[in-house]
Amino acid sequence: MSDIVALFALFVLITIAVGGAVEDENRLKSLSLAWVIFLLISFPTLSSEWARMTSELIDDENDSHYGLPDIWEGKQVVCFHFPDDHAPDGYDGARYHIDSDGTQFMTDSDWNHTGACIGGFSNFENGLELMDEAVTASGGDFAYNSTQYTFGLQINSIAGVNPCDASTCSDTSGAYWSLFHNGQMAMVGISDLTLKADSVITWSIETW
Amino acid sequence: MFDAHAVTIGTHGMLLINAAMLCLVGWALWKAERRLESGSDWILLLMLCVFAVSGRVLLDPIPNVQPVTIIVLLAGIHYGAPRAIALATAVTLCSNLILGHGLWSLYQAVGWSAVGVAGALLSSRLLVDGRLNIERLAMVAAASGFAFDWIVSISALHSMGSELLLPYMVAGLPFDLLHAAGNVAFAAWLANPLSEIMTKHLDTSSPMAVNDSVSSTL
Repeated sequence: MSDIVALFALFVLITIAVGGAVEDENRLKSLSLAWVIFLLISFPTLSSEWARMTSELIDDENDSHYGLPDIWEGKQVVCFHFPDDHAPDGYDGARYHIDSDGTQFMTDSDWNHTGACIGGFSNFENGLELMDEAVTASGGDFAYNSTQYTFGLQINSIAGVNPCDASTCSDTSGAYWSLFHNGQMAMVGISDLTLKADSVITWSIETW
Repeated sequence: MFDAHAVTIGTHGMLLINAAMLCLVGWALWKAERRLESGSDWILLLMLCVFAVSGRVLLDPIPNVQPVTIIVLLAGIHYGAPRAIALATAVTLCSNLILGHGLWSLYQAVGWSAVGVAGALLSSRLLVDGRLNIERLAMVAAASGFAFDWIVSISALHSMGSELLLPYMVAGLPFDLLHAAGNVAFAAWLANPLSEIMTKHLDTSSPMAVNDSVSSTL
């Protein structure tokens, strides 16, 4: 939002500066050229900021990209889903969306999960590298605790939430952070996961 | 064996080449027009079609900035709605044969035809004593950018629910803004020379001449 305000202020300043510096007969020519150049230069910022602002208007649960914002179509995303009443502070009651530069821009309170998705990434080939980048983009809100085993990395807790805090664990039952890749349970651990261009990684607590 | 075409040209380089080609097309058409007899309105419409198609194709790397809208608007003002619609449809078809032809072509043809009709309807206000009022034209051109984009947006209803149409149109506003700004720039820079040429080739014996009433143009 602040970027849009800044762009609008710059637009007004350019209009005043160019409009005041040119004679009447050439004013429209100069102004229109300045407007087009300004819009072309600022277009990437303007369109992405506008897309973030308007993404909340589109609530399409049948979206082919897991109901995520349109601006993440074809991009890589990491989602953290928490059981009700166990979401970290600030991420309860809805699914929150954080862009790759750390900007939180959309809250989907109708979604049937609580937590956050951090997306807009591209060109990551390894699951762990993408997850680490997502955690950094969230400002560390979804930092995880893990144990390295010979068979791979096991996630013990995410955002301080241990699966056994949210579910009953005993000798005959338990809970764990489960990894899904594009809607399917991953057959390998996060450190061995090979990504696609539009991979959506989802972490959620499952029980046994 | 020579590999004479194995040159890597970046986006900006390609845009420069396209701009140079558009200037070449414009210059050649302008020189050819000098040799035309006055009143050659259909030949001029063909030349405008060539320039509009070239402009749309060559400026394709720049989102939504192209001269078609202003050319169709001027055609509507000077030559009336029927010929503006013919021009709009021909430009859409020819340019989409290169850029991609499909369902959207119909909506684009309708959108630009609507711009041409608006030009015909407003001709008496935009063309005062044989001279274009550039400020008014710029305002109509800017509004035409939004109107055209919204008409084309209706084509999205073929693939999504009507409840998503408004959010879809709102999401596209930055593109509409760029179209409107581009139209104003083309109006400021091209409208007067194009208007002079169009006026020169206006066949006053035609029933669709500019001074005819709007009802006869439609």
